[in-house]
Amino acid sequence: MGPLLYICDIIVYIGIFGIVSLSLNLEFGFAGLANFGKVAFFLTGAYTYALLSQIGVPFYLCLIAGASISAILGLLVSLPALRLRMDYLAIAVLAFGEILRLIVKSEEFAGGNWGIAVSPVFPWMGSHLAYRLENIGLVYLCLLICFLVLQLLANSPYGRAIRAIREDEVAAEALGKDRSKYKAQALMLGSAMAGIAGGIYAQYLQYVVPGMFIPMVTFTVWMMVLLGGPANNWGVLLGAALVEIFDRGTNIAKDYLNLPIDPSNLQYILFGVLIILVLLYRPQGLLKESKIQTKALRLAHNARSTAKNKGS
Amino acid sequence: MQEALLRIREVSKHFGGVYAVNGVNLDIKHSGIWGLVGPNGSGKSTLFNTILGLHRPDQGEIYFNGKCINNLAPHQIYELGLVNAFQLPRLFYSLSVLDNMLVAARGHQGDKLFNSLFLRRRWQEQEKGLIEEALDILELVELEPLAFSPAGELSGGQRKLLEIARGLMAKPRLLLLDEPAAGINPKLGNRIFEKLMDFSTNGIAFFVVEHRLEILFEFASWVYVMNKGRIVLKGKPKAITSDPTFYSIYLGEE
Repeated sequence: MGPLLYICDIIVYIGIFGIVSLSLNLEFGFAGLANFGKVAFFLTGAYTYALLSQIGVPFYLCLIAGASISAILGLLVSLPALRLRMDYLAIAVLAFGEILRLIVKSEEFAGGNWGIAVSPVFPWMGSHLAYRLENIGLVYLCLLICFLVLQLLANSPYGRAIRAIREDEVAAEALGKDRSKYKAQALMLGSAMAGIAGGIYAQYLQYVVPGMFIPMVTFTVWMMVLLGGPANNWGVLLGAALVEIFDRGTNIAKDYLNLPIDPSNLQYILFGVLIILVLLYRPQGLLKESKIQTKALRLAHNARSTAKNKGS
Repeated sequence: MQEALLRIREVSKHFGGVYAVNGVNLDIKHSGIWGLVGPNGSGKSTLFNTILGLHRPDQGEIYFNGKCINNLAPHQIYELGLVNAFQLPRLFYSLSVLDNMLVAARGHQGDKLFNSLFLRRRWQEQEKGLIEEALDILELVELEPLAFSPAGELSGGQRKLLEIARGLMAKPRLLLLDEPAAGINPKLGNRIFEKLMDFSTNGIAFFVVEHRLEILFEFASWVYVMNKGRIVLKGKPKAITSDPTFYSIYLGEE
């Protein structure tokens, strides 16, 4: 029973962080926005869920509220941040994430250091396995919705426009793409998805504490996107699965290894090394950027290949 | 008489104490190829960037189709049909040649987030037509066989051609071209201008900076000569070439 529970737990985590990394993929992979404050929106979703569920709001409203408040925060952050160059944007949102964490840590309404207990979506039925399986259902339903929305966007003129802005924002602006609007939209939608993931996370663990939302969470999500392949939604899911398994795998391995240093620190070092290796040897990630596929493009492509076949 | 498509009145732009553009007046009518020549550093590109909204003019007014466009953002100026092809191509290199063209399509309904998700049938239909138009334009510049290749795989000359083709894709009323024939073999340079002539009879005006005067003067209907931020000469190409001051400006003092 033990290993099965552990595997189910990993599957839940892959789903939750799959949603977060998909949302970062929209912002960074497609729109080129270096959001190093991803954890801020994850935190917002989690705390919104926790606070609302305490006063008896039904879970789906908690999730929607978490997504909305995250989206609004995303918009607010985008207003000053989008005037900044990409690297300054990264620093600004990184600081924003830390500020939010310090706020919930020091405010009484958010439970301070001890956090808040959260009531789960699925009440305890006396079975660890059932609890996990129910959550797998919820997580993967949300993941599926986010994935479908992002796939539709990636293969649409909107996706083409944000990719163009990523490639050369001055040229895109000169071709009629209002870059501030597109970037703000991408940040809002990405933040909303991170907010949903945060809500699910909070109710699965049944508590939230500030210590869950350290910057390392952001870096883990970045690792998932960079390893899997920016601008490829399938790749990012693969990255989320690999990084989560690596994370858990090293957690187990340290029980069996005798090392002169604390293995938990070694895990962070390994993460850093992995990011450097990926960026050096496989900057496009495991899977290449997905091509834009619209129905009209497919038809044109097919027409061409049949013409070629006839010609030869 | 019809009012000019582009009217520039007393426009100045300075950087620090240097006037890059100094009290320029000029008119572009609704069709034809309009040339802008002058030595390097005479302010041609600054003037273009000011028209496009990439710089704000310090003084003066720019009217496009009767509307003052001084304070509009570049994407709003584009929406009015005033489009630009950059001197050094600024393509979206990881996108395909065809996608580069489609980004430039003016009024693509799927460009909006909401439409992209919820009005899929509408923009899919529109995109079919746009792809046909894009392939036709690519055919003209001999890039049609490469339509599905990434723009990053194009050669230098081809990139230049795609930059121009992308400008045409927007169905502009006025297309600004900064040195379209530079870096392209002479025969193709000539062909580009022939194509521009074809388009100009269909109601597109072109405002062209070009150092290859032999090509420009063959096709242009009117030429402005700039020097040190001012328009110093204007007229039909023949009149310009017979003016001795033109030679002293362009080829240096005797």
